Amino acid sequence: MEQQNTTAQRRLPLINASTLPESTITELRRHEARERERLGLSPRQHWVESGIQAKFTRSERPNVTLLLGGLTRSHDRLIEGAFRGLGYGVRALDCPTYDALRVGKEFGNRGQCNPTYFTVGNLVSELTRIRDEEGLSIKEIVDKYVFLTAGACGPCRFGMYVTEYRKALRDAGFDGFRVLLFQQQGGLKQATGDDEGLQMNPKFFTALVQALLAGDAINALAYRIRPYEVTPGATNQAMDKAKDYCYDALLNGTSVLRALYRSRKHFASIQIDPLRVVPKVSIIGEFWAMTTEGDGNYHLQEFIEQEGGEVDIQIVTNWLLYNIWEVRFDTKQRAALRGTDGTNRGLQNMGEFGVLRRSLTLAAADRAVRLAFFAYARALGLRSYPLANMDKIAELAAPHYNNDLRGGEGHMEVGKVILNAVDKKSTMTLSVKPFGCMPSSGVSDGVQSLIVEKFPGTIFCAVETSGDGAVNFQSRVQMYLSKAKQSARDEFEKALEQHGLSAQAVRDYLKRHPSTSSALFVAPHRARTRVADLVHATAQGQVPTRTRLSNWLDERRQSLTNTVTGLSAQLRRGHEATNAQLKTDSSSSTLGVFAGATVAPAKKPAGARIAA
Amino acid sequence: MATVNEHFVIGMDVGSTTVKAIVLDASNQGRLLWHDYQRHHTQQPEKVLELLERILADLDCAENPSLRIFLTGSGAGPLVEPIGGKFVQEVNAVTAAVERLNPDVGSVIELGGQDAKIIIFKDDPNTGMRTAVASMNDKCASGTGATIDKCLIKVGATPEFATQLHFNSLKLHHVAAKCGVFAETDIVNLVKSGIPQDEVLNSLADAIVMQNLSVLTRGNTLRAKVALLGGPNTYLPFLLDCWRLRIPEVWHDRGYHPPNPAPVEQLVFVPDNSQLYAALGAAFVGIGEPSQIGRFLGLTPLREFISNGRRARLGAQAGPPLAANAQELDEFTRKYTHPRFAPPPIESGSVVRAVIGLDGGSTSSKAVLVGEDGTLLAKAYQLSKGNPIADTQELLAKLKSHVTAQGATLECLGFGVTGYAGTVLEECMLADVNIVETVAHMSSAVHYFGDVDVVCDIGGQDIKVLFLKNGDIQNFKLSNSCSAGNGMLLQAMADQFGLPVTQYADVAFQAELAPKFSYGCAVFLDTDRVNFQKEGFQKEELLAGLAQVLPKNVWQYVVQIPRLASLGRRFVLQGGTQYNLAAVKAQVDYIRQRVPDAEVLVHPHTGEAGALGAAFETLRRYKRSTATRFIGVDAALGLQYTTRNDESTQCHFCPNNCHRTFVDAQRPNGTIARTISGFSCEKGTVESEEAMLRVVAERKMLAGAHPNLVDYEGRKAFQHFYTPAPLPGPGTLIEDVEVKKGLFRITRRRFTRPFVRSAAADAAQRKTIRVGIPRVLNNYVVAPFLRTYFETLGIPKTNVVFSDPTTEALWLEGGKYGSIDPCFPSKVVQAHIHQLLFHAHQPERARPLKYLFFPILTQLPSFVTDTVDNASCPIVAGTPEVIRAAFTKEVNFFEQRGIEYVAPALTFTEPTLLAKRLFDTWGPRLNITEDESDFACTEAWKALKEFEADLEKRGEAILETVESENRLAILVLARPYHSDPGLNHGILEEFQALGYPILSVRSLPKSRSYLDRYYQDELDAGLIETPLQLSHLWPENYSANSAQKVWAANFAAHHPNVAVLDLSSFKCGHDAPTYGLIDSIIQTARTPAAMLHDLDANKPGGSLKIRVSTYAHSLQLRQEKLEELEQKTRELERSIAAKRSELLAGSPLMAGTFHEQLRATEQRAFDQRHLPADELQQPSRNAAAASGLIQLRRKPDLLSQVPANSSQSLSSAAE
Repeated sequence: MEQQNTTAQRRLPLINASTLPESTITELRRHEARERERLGLSPRQHWVESGIQAKFTRSERPNVTLLLGGLTRSHDRLIEGAFRGLGYGVRALDCPTYDALRVGKEFGNRGQCNPTYFTVGNLVSELTRIRDEEGLSIKEIVDKYVFLTAGACGPCRFGMYVTEYRKALRDAGFDGFRVLLFQQQGGLKQATGDDEGLQMNPKFFTALVQALLAGDAINALAYRIRPYEVTPGATNQAMDKAKDYCYDALLNGTSVLRALYRSRKHFASIQIDPLRVVPKVSIIGEFWAMTTEGDGNYHLQEFIEQEGGEVDIQIVTNWLLYNIWEVRFDTKQRAALRGTDGTNRGLQNMGEFGVLRRSLTLAAADRAVRLAFFAYARALGLRSYPLANMDKIAELAAPHYNNDLRGGEGHMEVGKVILNAVDKKSTMTLSVKPFGCMPSSGVSDGVQSLIVEKFPGTIFCAVETSGDGAVNFQSRVQMYLSKAKQSARDEFEKALEQHGLSAQAVRDYLKRHPSTSSALFVAPHRARTRVADLVHATAQGQVPTRTRLSNWLDERRQSLTNTVTGLSAQLRRGHEATNAQLKTDSSSSTLGVFAGATVAPAKKPAGARIAA
Repeated sequence: MATVNEHFVIGMDVGSTTVKAIVLDASNQGRLLWHDYQRHHTQQPEKVLELLERILADLDCAENPSLRIFLTGSGAGPLVEPIGGKFVQEVNAVTAAVERLNPDVGSVIELGGQDAKIIIFKDDPNTGMRTAVASMNDKCASGTGATIDKCLIKVGATPEFATQLHFNSLKLHHVAAKCGVFAETDIVNLVKSGIPQDEVLNSLADAIVMQNLSVLTRGNTLRAKVALLGGPNTYLPFLLDCWRLRIPEVWHDRGYHPPNPAPVEQLVFVPDNSQLYAALGAAFVGIGEPSQIGRFLGLTPLREFISNGRRARLGAQAGPPLAANAQELDEFTRKYTHPRFAPPPIESGSVVRAVIGLDGGSTSSKAVLVGEDGTLLAKAYQLSKGNPIADTQELLAKLKSHVTAQGATLECLGFGVTGYAGTVLEECMLADVNIVETVAHMSSAVHYFGDVDVVCDIGGQDIKVLFLKNGDIQNFKLSNSCSAGNGMLLQAMADQFGLPVTQYADVAFQAELAPKFSYGCAVFLDTDRVNFQKEGFQKEELLAGLAQVLPKNVWQYVVQIPRLASLGRRFVLQGGTQYNLAAVKAQVDYIRQRVPDAEVLVHPHTGEAGALGAAFETLRRYKRSTATRFIGVDAALGLQYTTRNDESTQCHFCPNNCHRTFVDAQRPNGTIARTISGFSCEKGTVESEEAMLRVVAERKMLAGAHPNLVDYEGRKAFQHFYTPAPLPGPGTLIEDVEVKKGLFRITRRRFTRPFVRSAAADAAQRKTIRVGIPRVLNNYVVAPFLRTYFETLGIPKTNVVFSDPTTEALWLEGGKYGSIDPCFPSKVVQAHIHQLLFHAHQPERARPLKYLFFPILTQLPSFVTDTVDNASCPIVAGTPEVIRAAFTKEVNFFEQRGIEYVAPALTFTEPTLLAKRLFDTWGPRLNITEDESDFACTEAWKALKEFEADLEKRGEAILETVESENRLAILVLARPYHSDPGLNHGILEEFQALGYPILSVRSLPKSRSYLDRYYQDELDAGLIETPLQLSHLWPENYSANSAQKVWAANFAAHHPNVAVLDLSSFKCGHDAPTYGLIDSIIQTARTPAAMLHDLDANKPGGSLKIRVSTYAHSLQLRQEKLEELEQKTRELERSIAAKRSELLAGSPLMAGTFHEQLRATEQRAFDQRHLPADELQQPSRNAAAASGLIQLRRKPDLLSQVPANSSQSLSSAAE
């Protein structure tokens, strides 16, 4: 077997080399080998993992296609564009289906969580398809394709999914197939070298982050508009256009901002019915289960929309911010200890200025992500979309869910439910996770039962996906969704009652202020639903007139475009210098994706005001 | 007769097994006009159509159906459109019905076919409005109608019996209700043990009720009055009684008092028409909707939907049928249809000399009559009736009459048994042979097919896959209690469709496509089935799809070896399920697809393979001894027996107080053979105290002779064994570090200063403080540290109080707080906290607990050198927060009991941070100085090291001994908390009793001086730098306990005298990724191994027995192999010595005679093997063994010489 190495079970030290002539020793060894064979005394064999060493080198790059996937459809497509723009051959895998799940289960270990089955099965299915339909031999597949995925280091079992990839690929006959990882917290430390096929340099991470943020902005806007669209499918059409524009920009290295700005008119032109009473459903839970848009969560987002809900998705940007928060929190906890510990969270060998350097880098990274997201959001027309305040979430969750506990979304699930209740961010919170999800089903849900008790009126629905029949899953969602719908109706009626308005009066008012018919329009946040916000805003005359809005837009549009275009140029120029600087900082465990952060302007950017 | 009325509203509940329909008159206060309740046998739309037709006819409105219709239930979704109705979610429907019909109800428990729902009505303090908190079972929970149905079949209870039985809490047995399959397995075991039907059903009811109360309520307390809904609650009085008993108990425990006290019959009740509530509720919701909503479209669109609509969209998502075309099917059936067994004729007047083999299976028993020459003469089959003796008598009667009917007489040469009923029959009928099923199946397959590679036996309950080499079992995989894919699955599915299982294949072969099921648990498959049915798949397609999932369950779920070709190419399929040709076809195709040149054989007597195996073994034995001890067929038929299960049979030898059953059979010689069942430990196997003491003494002796370091580790971790150094006096100079935080930099400066002590009064106060710590989870790793920390600070050792080890009683008493359902080790924590709160905390006796300390352990200490992290499992680490939530949710039990719950996050990989966190936590509470806390930390670390060193020393002594004696030790691969006897269910003792010492992962020696010799080649080749590394096998090794487990598996692979027992808990997420890894490691090295995965709350009785027996068989083979290896090694040594002499003949190097040389060489080889070069200088590596700490006895007869107290050597050394 290729992956096996042999060792002797017992060594027979019969041959004393110091006293015997060389020829005798040789003959004795030969004799021993013969005798061992005759007697069936074969050495014991031991297993070693052969799939670790395979490398992807620079010289192979022109002939190799990177396979990737695992986020939303928008993200996968844009990342494909971004990496193509960097000169890689790339193919995004389709969203995993039940067939992928079945393949994953065949080749994976029993008892895995289903994101592993779905994603591993998806890769094996694709390779099998390449083998059977494109007629490539296994060797050709191994030579011509590599799979790129984000790594994790636990502590839940999904962090071990690379073990599953290796096992499944080996068992499915794709021995030696390469799976490349970039660690979420590894930053530039990982896999940098002149001979590396995948150059994880600032350019790589900038392209990746651009794709992620643009994907987030497009998704967030689309989910916000779709439940109110008058013509079914209009939002998806606008979304497709936006993805095309951004894909081209990433591919050709032109401005993603401009692409988003171009997309904006498509979204703006969607006709909506702003007075639909639609409960807002905030989806939280396990990252993959809440992100995927296919069989992996029984098309949850689509299902909620069909059932008459608005989906408030978790964007990938928040996940990046959580990663930054983790390092920041851990560093802060250890900064003033009387000694330093030598593990991966310990601060050994950081030097006297190490903590400062890391804190600054992290603060800059956090700032840069927020700034870039707001710039993108602004350009696309995604207004009043606050990014998560990580410190606030941590603080709210801490009394119930220790901030040192990690795995999955950590304390964030609990923090978000409290935040949704306290800040009236949604009508209902839905926590979706794979069956037996360790951090979510095993810990968060246990704590949530207390949170629901402490914040009466919270509509909280925890559901597990297994990949088996969707009936029970959807039934549970429906159960809570009916409550949410009732709650949304109550809220709407209360808002009308509070201001002494009728629905028709609001409709008439909105007719008089046509800007409110724009799909991009958002009333100031006061209630859990969009429609109740609109009632409050109407009552207080906060719905801006077309003239005011147009003026405001005209002013801001120009200044924003200028700021952001300048910033992009700065970001690009800053890459080389930053790269060199960060490479020398071997102790940095900052997200590499924020390498460009050092050039973040000290001045408060235009976009940040929206967050404030 | 009502007339056409547009105020009529139809409510319909389309569930997973039944359809309920009602019609209300909205204009007449919702008067119920019409109702019916019918099983749909998976024909949901058809049944709905039938009911609608009847409604229209009965209400005389077929011509002008201006009705409205509202649907609810899991199958309603797709019907809404063709009917024109509106969908109402089930819980909302039930809520609406209850609010309207029983406004005084505080909670609802509804058990449906697949769903269990609990609704609790609460008053919202903000709005003052009544809100309903609802929860539904997760996919896993049983306690639903479907499970109860299946169990009723297993018990053989008639509907009359079940609907008249009343609950009796006096005789209850353990049934796991967590999962439907687990429950069924337990039920089968109870039935096989001869437990009467009523007790089995009562136990089932109790388990279901307790499961619902502890999990489904999500930690909420049910409010009175409680309405019970759904079929099981309505029709099964014993279930109702059980609710009425248990709900008030929970109320009492939680201090809840119903606002309007009333007799329990009124507080917990089944309302009229309870089975119709969902349908009624849907209609009530409908009445409230605007009149244009839910307009019934008439029957035409529904008929259209049934005939065409559903089918249209199935093609895309369906998979291929069982056979692509008729020709393929013909070929297959020709090849695999065995001719019906025609018993060879028996000559009238002859004497038939034959042996009888019997297989007492889980759902049926089989017997065969095999002639002296090995020919099968007759076979008999008997569906289990619940009593093994009665079943056997019927079988024997059938065999005998087969012979006598032909005018011949039967001379029975021997009687061999296998299967569940083996022990009883061996005892009372003096069977000659009682062999384990796996071996029986192996012998049978080998008898018919000679050299085969794989035997796959699929019985009613178990799947056994045996891998053979040279005609003997090389390795085996058995389904665990969780696994699906067994014969019962197909049987149950056939039942659901109202189809005899014998017609399964004929129907399934008719399918032109099949839904794609994914493998897994039977409960999940059933969910899938409901879903596919909803989508419109027909009976034949579902049956075909289920047959196709069977091989997936066998090969992917149970065997887990995707590369089937690596197993060989001759596969034998046997077991009753192979009568079902649909299953065989699916198996053959699956295997052929993966092993194109495979030869897939089906046993000619597939159902009787086990019985034949027993018969052949009996025959073999008879031929050798020409004698039998069997009491004879006639005596067996006339065997009188009584079954007793009452107060007198209860076992009082331990706190479990098992309700045992005595089956007394009177043998022909007048002696009574008593078989005892229903006990949970060895003590229950006897009746008198003397006998019990003898059993205990024997067990102790065995335990002493074969130490169990897992048990030792679990006990010692919580004992006081280390006396900490006293705190330094005030003024003692110590080294410290000054941390200065500047604007930009942080500097640390070392300096010396005096030790700071806290006030004497505080120290005195500390002597009175009692701290409770649960004996759970990773506290098994760090308990010596925690104990020593407190002891160093002056808390007396008796005041550091750990909860008791887990027992069933502990769990039953305290397991009612949970809101989630994780692995059992995490779930059982609540019971430990309960024990500390209500038993260890004794303020009335001036022994209060001041603190309950349950640290969040994020990282653990580990010996593996190259891990990426040493993280704890996230569930295990987070359990302290879950516990905090559970015990403070409605009532703050900590506050109520005057205890502070302390749960800081601690990491054991960062000592500085750990010390800081401990001081932050305990400084203000114990009034200690930071110096004192730091000093206590240092002492605590020392204690932990000493604990580990002691374990390793003992482990090394065992290894040295077994190696020098060519024996085997069993290494238990498990998480540290599996040392808890309540989690490992005493399984290790079963192996200990076989005569193998037990090692734990932590007890393996970690010194290079010990380890290097086993890894020498890898070290020499530069593949590894130290034996303690792991990344070359597993780079994703961040989970501390998993990494240590995998490392230990690799150690076992390197050590010739170590066999492996792998324990893993149900739902263990950190173990799952290691299954394949550990399997690869131990398979490559051919280390004997047994896996006991999916351990849960109850001891896996049935599956354990067969595993222990089969594993014992493998270990025996291994033991023989070790001896053979020793001989061969000797031979090799001799041969080399001879060769050496030959080569050196005449050389001056060759001094002395040949024989002297040979002896010298042998001696040198022996010394070298046992004392490698690098240790020759060391005084003695066997020091530990020699010092008398552990004396392993090799021969059983030596056991008698072991004084009773020597068995205590392990514990006494610690205590």
